[in-house]
Amino acid sequence: MALLREAFKENVLTTKVDWLLNWSKAHSLWPMTFGLACCAIEMMAAGASHHDLDRFGAGAFRATPRQADLMIVAGTVNFKMGERVKRLYDQMASPKYVIAMGACATGGGPYHTYGYSVMKGVDRIIPVDVYIAGCPPRPEALLEGLMKLQDKIRRSNVIRKPASGG
Amino acid sequence: MDFQAIVDRLKAVQAPGIVEVGEPRPADKAAKDKGRSGQPFVRVEPDALVEFLTICRDEPHLRFEMLVDICASDPGKDEPELWILIQLLSVELRHRLFIKAHLPKEAPRMPTTTAVYRAAQWHERECAEMFGVTFEGHPDPRHILLPDDWEGHPLRKDYEFPTQYRGISCD
Repeated sequence: MALLREAFKENVLTTKVDWLLNWSKAHSLWPMTFGLACCAIEMMAAGASHHDLDRFGAGAFRATPRQADLMIVAGTVNFKMGERVKRLYDQMASPKYVIAMGACATGGGPYHTYGYSVMKGVDRIIPVDVYIAGCPPRPEALLEGLMKLQDKIRRSNVIRKPASGG
Repeated sequence: MDFQAIVDRLKAVQAPGIVEVGEPRPADKAAKDKGRSGQPFVRVEPDALVEFLTICRDEPHLRFEMLVDICASDPGKDEPELWILIQLLSVELRHRLFIKAHLPKEAPRMPTTTAVYRAAQWHERECAEMFGVTFEGHPDPRHILLPDDWEGHPLRKDYEFPTQYRGISCD
Protein backbone atom coordinates (compact mmCIF):
# COMPACT_ATOMS: atom_id res chain seq x y z
CA MET A 1 0.00 0.00 0.00
CA ALA A 2 2.86 2.30 0.75
CA LEU A 3 3.91 1.98 -2.86
CA LEU A 4 0.46 2.94 -4.12
CA ARG A 5 -0.18 5.74 -1.67
CA GLU A 6 1.20 8.45 -3.88
CA ALA A 7 0.28 6.86 -7.21
CA PHE A 8 -3.29 8.19 -7.50
CA LYS A 9 -2.62 11.63 -6.21
CA GLU A 10 -3.69 13.40 -9.36
CA ASN A 11 -5.98 10.71 -10.74
CA VAL A 12 -8.78 10.50 -8.20
CA LEU A 13 -12.33 11.24 -9.28
CA THR A 14 -15.12 11.79 -6.86
CA THR A 15 -18.70 10.93 -7.80
CA LYS A 16 -21.95 9.56 -6.43
CA VAL A 17 -22.27 5.79 -6.08
CA ASP A 18 -25.62 5.76 -7.87
CA TRP A 19 -24.21 7.71 -10.78
CA LEU A 20 -21.28 5.32 -11.07
CA LEU A 21 -23.49 2.23 -10.89
CA ASN A 22 -25.93 3.63 -13.44
CA TRP A 23 -23.14 4.72 -15.73
CA SER A 24 -21.56 1.27 -15.71
CA LYS A 25 -24.88 -0.53 -16.12
CA ALA A 26 -26.04 1.69 -18.96
CA HIS A 27 -22.81 1.34 -20.90
CA SER A 28 -22.27 -2.39 -20.58
CA LEU A 29 -25.62 -3.82 -21.59
CA TRP A 30 -24.75 -7.28 -22.78
CA PRO A 31 -27.62 -8.69 -24.83
CA MET A 32 -28.46 -12.35 -25.03
CA THR A 33 -27.86 -14.02 -28.38
CA PHE A 34 -31.22 -15.09 -29.65
CA GLY A 35 -33.59 -14.08 -32.39
CA LEU A 36 -37.05 -15.38 -33.19
CA ALA A 37 -37.86 -14.05 -36.65
CA CYS A 38 -37.05 -11.37 -39.23
CA CYS A 39 -36.47 -8.70 -36.54
CA ALA A 40 -33.39 -10.72 -35.61
CA ILE A 41 -31.93 -9.93 -39.05
CA GLU A 42 -32.26 -6.22 -38.31
CA MET A 43 -30.75 -6.83 -34.88
CA MET A 44 -27.77 -8.52 -36.53
CA ALA A 45 -27.48 -5.55 -38.90
CA ALA A 46 -27.48 -3.24 -35.89
CA GLY A 47 -24.69 -5.32 -34.39
CA ALA A 48 -22.60 -5.29 -37.55
CA SER A 49 -20.02 -2.67 -38.50
CA HIS A 50 -22.28 -0.18 -40.29
CA HIS A 51 -24.50 0.58 -37.27
CA ASP A 52 -22.18 -0.87 -34.62
CA LEU A 53 -24.15 -1.59 -31.46
CA ASP A 54 -20.84 -1.70 -29.61
CA ARG A 55 -20.69 2.12 -29.59
CA PHE A 56 -23.27 1.91 -26.81
CA GLY A 57 -21.56 -0.94 -25.00
CA ALA A 58 -24.28 -3.34 -26.12
CA GLY A 59 -22.38 -5.31 -28.74
CA ALA A 60 -21.20 -8.18 -26.57
CA PHE A 61 -23.87 -10.73 -27.43
CA ARG A 62 -23.62 -13.51 -24.86
CA ALA A 63 -24.62 -17.05 -25.71
CA THR A 64 -25.90 -17.75 -22.23
CA PRO A 65 -28.57 -16.02 -20.15
CA ARG A 66 -26.31 -16.10 -17.10
CA GLN A 67 -23.92 -13.56 -18.61
CA ALA A 68 -26.55 -11.34 -20.20
CA ASP A 69 -28.17 -8.16 -18.87
CA LEU A 70 -30.50 -7.44 -21.74
CA MET A 71 -33.00 -9.59 -23.56
CA ILE A 72 -33.91 -8.26 -27.01
CA VAL A 73 -37.04 -10.17 -27.98
CA ALA A 74 -36.60 -9.84 -31.73
CA GLY A 75 -39.45 -11.56 -33.49
CA THR A 76 -42.70 -13.49 -33.22
CA VAL A 77 -43.27 -15.19 -29.88
CA ASN A 78 -45.59 -18.15 -30.12
CA PHE A 79 -46.90 -20.11 -27.19
CA LYS A 80 -44.43 -22.94 -27.58
CA MET A 81 -41.50 -20.51 -27.71
CA GLY A 82 -42.97 -18.29 -24.97
CA GLU A 83 -42.34 -20.99 -22.43
CA ARG A 84 -38.65 -21.06 -23.40
CA VAL A 85 -38.39 -17.26 -23.43
CA LYS A 86 -39.79 -17.16 -19.89
CA ARG A 87 -37.32 -19.80 -18.74
CA LEU A 88 -34.38 -17.91 -20.27
CA TYR A 89 -35.54 -14.66 -18.67
CA ASP A 90 -35.71 -16.39 -15.29
CA GLN A 91 -32.13 -17.61 -15.72
CA MET A 92 -30.75 -14.10 -16.26
CA ALA A 93 -29.15 -12.39 -13.27
CA SER A 94 -30.57 -9.11 -11.98
CA PRO A 95 -30.48 -6.28 -12.90
CA LYS A 96 -32.02 -7.37 -16.20
CA TYR A 97 -33.83 -5.51 -18.92
CA VAL A 98 -36.12 -6.47 -21.80
CA ILE A 99 -36.63 -4.76 -25.14
CA ALA A 100 -39.66 -5.88 -27.16
CA MET A 101 -38.47 -5.31 -30.71
CA GLY A 102 -41.03 -4.93 -33.46
CA ALA A 103 -44.76 -5.37 -33.86
CA CYS A 104 -44.89 -9.12 -33.05
CA ALA A 105 -43.10 -8.95 -29.72
CA THR A 106 -45.07 -5.82 -28.81
CA GLY A 107 -48.58 -7.03 -29.59
CA GLY A 108 -48.71 -9.96 -31.97
CA GLY A 109 -48.18 -7.84 -35.08
CA PRO A 110 -49.63 -9.19 -38.33
CA TYR A 111 -50.54 -12.44 -36.54
CA HIS A 112 -52.82 -10.69 -34.08
CA THR A 113 -56.13 -11.78 -35.60
CA TYR A 114 -55.47 -15.15 -37.21
CA GLY A 115 -52.27 -16.34 -35.56
CA TYR A 116 -53.75 -19.07 -33.43
CA SER A 117 -50.35 -19.99 -31.98
CA VAL A 118 -48.91 -16.49 -31.54
CA MET A 119 -48.75 -14.74 -28.20
CA LYS A 120 -50.20 -11.23 -28.44
CA GLY A 121 -47.17 -9.53 -26.98
CA VAL A 122 -44.24 -10.83 -24.97
CA ASP A 123 -45.29 -8.62 -22.04
CA ARG A 124 -47.86 -11.29 -21.20
CA ILE A 125 -45.09 -13.45 -19.77
CA ILE A 126 -42.16 -11.14 -18.92
CA PRO A 127 -41.89 -7.44 -17.96
CA VAL A 128 -40.84 -5.20 -20.86
CA ASP A 129 -38.85 -1.99 -20.43
CA VAL A 130 -38.84 -0.57 -23.95
CA TYR A 131 -41.13 -1.26 -26.91
CA ILE A 132 -39.90 -0.57 -30.44
CA ALA A 133 -42.40 -0.04 -33.25
CA GLY A 134 -41.80 -1.31 -36.77
CA CYS A 135 -42.17 -4.43 -38.84
CA PRO A 136 -39.29 -4.95 -38.65
CA PRO A 137 -37.79 -1.81 -37.09
CA ARG A 138 -34.72 -0.47 -38.84
CA PRO A 139 -31.41 -0.76 -36.97
CA GLU A 140 -31.64 2.96 -36.14
CA ALA A 141 -34.91 2.26 -34.33
CA LEU A 142 -33.22 -0.44 -32.27
CA LEU A 143 -30.44 2.02 -31.39
CA GLU A 144 -33.09 4.55 -30.39
CA GLY A 145 -34.74 1.95 -28.17
CA LEU A 146 -31.40 1.10 -26.64
CA MET A 147 -30.75 4.77 -25.86
CA LYS A 148 -34.20 5.02 -24.30
CA LEU A 149 -33.31 2.07 -22.09
CA GLN A 150 -30.04 3.76 -21.12
CA ASP A 151 -32.02 6.87 -20.16
CA LYS A 152 -34.23 4.69 -18.01
CA ILE A 153 -31.23 3.07 -16.32
CA ARG A 154 -29.68 6.49 -15.61
CA ARG A 155 -32.84 7.47 -13.75
CA SER A 156 -32.68 4.46 -11.44
CA ASN A 157 -31.46 4.58 -7.84
CA VAL A 158 -29.83 1.80 -5.89
CA ILE A 159 -28.24 3.50 -2.88
CA ARG A 160 -30.36 6.58 -2.44
CA LYS A 161 -34.06 5.85 -2.63
CA PRO A 162 -36.05 8.62 -4.28
CA ALA A 163 -38.30 10.77 -2.14
CA SER A 164 -41.94 9.73 -2.10
CA GLY A 165 -43.66 10.38 -5.37
CA GLY A 166 -40.36 10.92 -7.13
CA MET B 1 -42.49 -39.29 -69.23
CA ASP B 2 -45.42 -36.90 -69.44
CA PHE B 3 -48.52 -37.22 -67.33
CA GLN B 4 -50.52 -39.25 -69.82
CA ALA B 5 -47.68 -41.75 -70.26
CA ILE B 6 -47.41 -42.15 -66.48
CA VAL B 7 -51.15 -42.80 -66.22
CA ASP B 8 -51.02 -45.30 -69.07
CA ARG B 9 -48.15 -47.08 -67.37
CA LEU B 10 -50.01 -47.15 -64.04
CA LYS B 11 -53.01 -48.68 -65.77
CA ALA B 12 -50.85 -51.19 -67.65
CA VAL B 13 -49.35 -52.52 -64.42
CA GLN B 14 -52.83 -52.49 -62.84
CA ALA B 15 -52.08 -50.07 -60.02
CA PRO B 16 -54.94 -50.48 -57.56
CA GLY B 17 -57.49 -47.92 -56.41
CA ILE B 18 -57.48 -45.34 -59.21
CA VAL B 19 -60.76 -43.44 -58.92
CA GLU B 20 -60.24 -40.50 -61.23
CA VAL B 21 -57.63 -39.00 -63.51
CA GLY B 22 -57.66 -35.22 -63.27
CA GLU B 23 -57.38 -33.25 -66.47
CA PRO B 24 -54.78 -30.54 -66.97
CA ARG B 25 -55.95 -27.00 -66.36
CA PRO B 26 -58.59 -25.88 -68.89
CA ALA B 27 -57.53 -23.08 -71.23
CA ASP B 28 -60.61 -21.08 -70.29
CA LYS B 29 -59.91 -19.52 -66.90
CA ALA B 30 -63.58 -19.13 -66.00
CA ALA B 31 -64.15 -22.85 -66.42
CA LYS B 32 -61.39 -23.67 -63.95
CA ASP B 33 -62.48 -25.70 -60.94
CA LYS B 34 -62.47 -23.88 -57.64
CA GLY B 35 -59.52 -24.92 -55.53
CA ARG B 36 -57.66 -26.51 -58.43
CA SER B 37 -54.14 -25.36 -59.12
CA GLY B 38 -54.31 -26.86 -62.59
CA GLN B 39 -51.84 -29.66 -62.00
CA PRO B 40 -53.00 -32.96 -63.47
CA PHE B 41 -53.46 -35.54 -60.76
CA VAL B 42 -54.46 -39.10 -60.08
CA ARG B 43 -57.10 -39.67 -57.44
CA VAL B 44 -56.66 -42.88 -55.50
CA GLU B 45 -58.73 -44.78 -52.96
CA PRO B 46 -57.15 -44.04 -49.51
CA ASP B 47 -57.01 -47.71 -48.49
CA ALA B 48 -55.13 -48.62 -51.68
CA LEU B 49 -52.55 -45.86 -51.26
CA VAL B 50 -49.80 -47.98 -49.74
CA GLU B 51 -49.92 -50.55 -52.51
CA PHE B 52 -50.26 -47.78 -55.12
CA LEU B 53 -47.19 -45.94 -53.82
CA THR B 54 -45.20 -49.17 -53.68
CA ILE B 55 -45.87 -49.67 -57.38
CA CYS B 56 -44.94 -46.05 -58.13
CA ARG B 57 -41.64 -46.54 -56.33
CA ASP B 58 -40.69 -49.99 -57.63
CA GLU B 59 -42.05 -50.09 -61.19
CA PRO B 60 -38.96 -49.76 -63.41
CA HIS B 61 -40.62 -47.32 -65.85
CA LEU B 62 -41.86 -45.02 -63.10
CA ARG B 63 -39.15 -45.15 -60.41
CA PHE B 64 -40.49 -42.41 -58.13
CA GLU B 65 -37.68 -42.64 -55.62
CA MET B 66 -38.49 -39.41 -53.83
CA LEU B 67 -41.52 -38.33 -51.83
CA VAL B 68 -41.59 -34.54 -52.12
CA ASP B 69 -44.56 -33.77 -49.92
CA ILE B 70 -47.68 -35.03 -48.25
CA CYS B 71 -50.11 -32.31 -47.34
CA ALA B 72 -53.79 -31.97 -46.70
CA SER B 73 -56.35 -29.39 -47.69
CA ASP B 74 -59.74 -28.43 -46.37
CA PRO B 75 -61.63 -27.26 -49.47
CA GLY B 76 -64.43 -25.54 -47.56
CA LYS B 77 -66.64 -25.47 -44.52
CA ASP B 78 -69.56 -27.17 -46.27
CA GLU B 79 -67.49 -29.79 -48.09
CA PRO B 80 -67.80 -33.26 -46.53
CA GLU B 81 -64.27 -34.38 -47.43
CA LEU B 82 -60.65 -33.48 -46.76
CA TRP B 83 -58.05 -33.87 -49.47
CA ILE B 84 -54.73 -35.59 -49.01
CA LEU B 85 -52.20 -34.46 -51.62
CA ILE B 86 -49.04 -36.42 -52.33
CA GLN B 87 -46.24 -35.34 -54.65
CA LEU B 88 -43.76 -37.81 -56.01
CA LEU B 89 -40.62 -37.10 -57.98
CA SER B 90 -38.36 -39.31 -60.01
CA VAL B 91 -34.96 -37.67 -60.05
CA GLU B 92 -33.61 -40.28 -62.40
CA LEU B 93 -36.40 -40.15 -65.00
CA ARG B 94 -37.23 -36.47 -64.40
CA HIS B 95 -40.97 -36.72 -63.94
CA ARG B 96 -43.46 -35.94 -61.25
CA LEU B 97 -46.82 -37.27 -60.14
CA PHE B 98 -49.53 -35.64 -58.06
CA ILE B 99 -51.75 -38.01 -56.14
CA LYS B 100 -54.94 -37.08 -54.39
CA ALA B 101 -57.10 -38.96 -51.91
CA HIS B 102 -60.40 -37.90 -50.38
CA LEU B 103 -61.10 -38.64 -46.72
CA PRO B 104 -64.42 -38.04 -44.94
CA LYS B 105 -64.19 -35.14 -42.46
CA GLU B 106 -66.20 -37.09 -39.91
CA ALA B 107 -63.46 -39.66 -39.34
CA PRO B 108 -60.44 -38.97 -41.55
CA ARG B 109 -58.22 -42.04 -41.34
CA MET B 110 -55.85 -43.71 -43.75
CA PRO B 111 -52.99 -46.19 -43.45
CA THR B 112 -49.55 -44.68 -42.95
CA THR B 113 -47.26 -44.56 -45.97
CA THR B 114 -44.05 -44.55 -43.92
CA ALA B 115 -43.40 -48.17 -44.85
CA VAL B 116 -43.01 -47.08 -48.49
CA TYR B 117 -41.33 -43.69 -48.03
CA ARG B 118 -39.66 -42.97 -44.69
CA ALA B 119 -39.81 -39.27 -45.54
CA ALA B 120 -43.55 -39.45 -44.98
CA GLN B 121 -43.15 -39.54 -41.19
CA TRP B 122 -42.89 -35.80 -40.55
CA HIS B 123 -45.37 -34.84 -43.28
CA GLU B 124 -47.93 -37.19 -41.80
CA ARG B 125 -47.36 -35.85 -38.30
CA GLU B 126 -48.02 -32.34 -39.58
CA CYS B 127 -51.19 -33.43 -41.41
CA ALA B 128 -52.32 -35.22 -38.27
CA GLU B 129 -52.06 -32.21 -35.98
CA MET B 130 -53.21 -29.58 -38.47
CA PHE B 131 -56.17 -31.46 -39.96
CA GLY B 132 -56.92 -34.25 -37.50
CA VAL B 133 -56.12 -37.04 -39.93
CA THR B 134 -55.31 -40.35 -38.25
CA PHE B 135 -52.53 -42.29 -39.95
CA GLU B 136 -52.97 -45.84 -38.81
CA GLY B 137 -49.72 -47.56 -37.92
CA HIS B 138 -47.59 -44.41 -37.78
CA PRO B 139 -44.39 -45.20 -35.84
CA ASP B 140 -44.21 -41.85 -33.99
CA PRO B 141 -47.60 -40.13 -33.79
CA ARG B 142 -46.59 -37.15 -31.63
CA HIS B 143 -47.21 -33.48 -32.48
CA ILE B 144 -44.45 -32.03 -34.61
CA LEU B 145 -45.04 -28.25 -34.57
CA LEU B 146 -47.72 -27.50 -32.00
CA PRO B 147 -47.24 -27.94 -28.25
CA ASP B 148 -48.08 -31.43 -26.99
CA ASP B 149 -51.18 -30.30 -25.12
CA TRP B 150 -52.68 -28.30 -28.00
CA GLU B 151 -56.36 -28.91 -28.65
CA GLY B 152 -58.05 -28.74 -32.03
CA HIS B 153 -56.76 -28.81 -35.58
CA PRO B 154 -55.90 -25.26 -36.66
CA LEU B 155 -56.05 -25.61 -40.45
CA ARG B 156 -59.54 -27.05 -40.52
CA LYS B 157 -62.09 -24.51 -41.73
CA ASP B 158 -64.31 -25.23 -38.72
CA TYR B 159 -61.47 -24.56 -36.26
CA GLU B 160 -62.41 -22.41 -33.30
CA PHE B 161 -59.64 -20.16 -32.03
CA PRO B 162 -58.58 -20.72 -28.43
CA THR B 163 -59.44 -18.05 -25.86
CA GLN B 164 -56.48 -18.89 -23.64
CA TYR B 165 -53.48 -21.20 -23.56
CA ARG B 166 -52.07 -22.28 -20.18
CA GLY B 167 -53.59 -19.23 -18.56
CA ILE B 168 -52.26 -16.77 -21.15
CA SER B 169 -55.14 -14.90 -22.76
CA CYS B 170 -55.40 -14.99 -26.56
CA ASP B 171 -57.54 -11.87 -26.96
